[in-house]
Amino acid sequence: MKTIVITGATSGIGLETARILCRQGFRVLSVGHSKKNCELAKADLLSGNPEAQLTCFAADLMQQHEVLRVANELTAYINENCGGELYALINNAGCARNWYMTTDEGYEQQFALNYLAGFLLTHELLPLLLKSGGRVLMTGSESHKGIKVHWNDVMLRRGYNPLTAYKQSKLCDILFAKGLNDRHSADGLRAYVLDPGLVHTDIGSKAAGGIVGVVWALRKRHGVEPSVPAETYAFLCNPEREPQGLYYHLCEENTYSKEVTRENADRLFALSERLCGIRYESSSKGAIA
Amino acid sequence: MNVLITGAAGGLGRALATECARRGWNLFLTDVNEAGLKNIQCGLERQYGITVTTGVCDLTSSGDVDEMMAIIDEHNIRFDMLLNIAGIDFEGGFLSREREKVVKIVSINDAATLRITHAILERRRPGGHFTVVFVSSLASMFPMPLKATYAASKRFLLDFATSLRQELKSQDANVLALCPGGLVTRDDTVQAIEAQGFWGSVTTNPLEIVARKTLDRALAGKAIYVPGGLNQTLSFFGKIIPRSWVAAVVYWRWTKSQKKWLTAAETAG
Repeated sequence: MKTIVITGATSGIGLETARILCRQGFRVLSVGHSKKNCELAKADLLSGNPEAQLTCFAADLMQQHEVLRVANELTAYINENCGGELYALINNAGCARNWYMTTDEGYEQQFALNYLAGFLLTHELLPLLLKSGGRVLMTGSESHKGIKVHWNDVMLRRGYNPLTAYKQSKLCDILFAKGLNDRHSADGLRAYVLDPGLVHTDIGSKAAGGIVGVVWALRKRHGVEPSVPAETYAFLCNPEREPQGLYYHLCEENTYSKEVTRENADRLFALSERLCGIRYESSSKGAIA
Repeated sequence: MNVLITGAAGGLGRALATECARRGWNLFLTDVNEAGLKNIQCGLERQYGITVTTGVCDLTSSGDVDEMMAIIDEHNIRFDMLLNIAGIDFEGGFLSREREKVVKIVSINDAATLRITHAILERRRPGGHFTVVFVSSLASMFPMPLKATYAASKRFLLDFATSLRQELKSQDANVLALCPGGLVTRDDTVQAIEAQGFWGSVTTNPLEIVARKTLDRALAGKAIYVPGGLNQTLSFFGKIIPRSWVAAVVYWRWTKSQKKWLTAAETAG
């Protein structure tokens, strides 16, 4: 039985993805924001599928100390129960914030959760992923197009705009996936980003505040159900296929921003390594692919 | 520039610490929350490549403050700026709150602030300009039923800052009182502001901009900084309308929004 870790798996796209993957016979380790959310989501999943192999972990992933704590718990669990192998990690947890708000480390919250948490969690779980030649998947967004990374002010402290912060965090997700493939595809690791399209979820309602909350309440009505992007996740997790692209929408490869270059990915890796106090080792197979 | 910041692990403290770090200043951060201090220290060092010193300290304990001063003296650290951010707030009717919790508002917001301000003014860098910032509040401009102790404790800081500023004028020092309306620092402040509806949103100001302008104005020798045009207007009316009328209006408004906020908090669990 292959093991998959999904973050933000207690609602929206994460919950539906967990549902499909459980049904397909994966062992799912879900990470949710609170114990209560985890329990509700677990009860929901088990009610339709009593056989589901599901274990929940609670962590506030925008805080780096929480990412490190839950990574340790996941590693211990996987070593004990899953033969030390992790088949896939889905970095899906995300938020929207109307106001500039910071984490305990003083990092802007959308940047910290939508992108940096995945960067750090992937690093911590990398040894387990490499053992199974695994996959790393990120929930991206079509909105990553038409924007550049604000290298001189990546937390957007000057002229904070909620949408810019959101878009940039999603551009960073694709750059991260590209950088991961550059470093580790020779080891059998593949990274993908999924464009969920406009989805009917509560991302813009949870503690987002102000105009973001109002706009999202109107906008989400036109969204598809979260089970639609969940199908694409299932497609990208299917071990019988190994999709060769980077960015997917509705189970098909999609074009991504011209900003997604080797140079920008390396620059983002260097910056993120500094912000997380970690270092991604280059491929164990020698030359970077 | 050596800066000491109290309450540095909280939302506004972190924002001001970040603003100082961006300007390349040396930071000495204190808070009662040891883990929180470590996190912000780590984040600032990683973002800005500066060295940050921290000291866990309960400012309501004179023993704790003495110990921290002993360490500061041992390393002969002298300061150019003090940002008094540490403070607390409990909302609700005077009699519906526990006795000691109400008293604690004054011990932290006022007594502890006096203690650290006295200690650090004695340790200002000789011959240099000095700046002190007190975090008062828009609430200090009005009598505030249901936030009575909090608002009064902030009024204390406003009046104290104004007087101290006069005393220190001849000694090359400036004192600024920051009087913000709403600042979004935590998830639950988002809810609290939403519960206040229209007036909650329009009196709220962006944290990162308030942090930047606070330092700019303090260095420019200003006495009071009320962020936001509407807040300035409100504080003006606070001065001309009879205080008992203001109290009646505030009471009416807070009763409504607190009910809403409490219901929201309950349903959110």
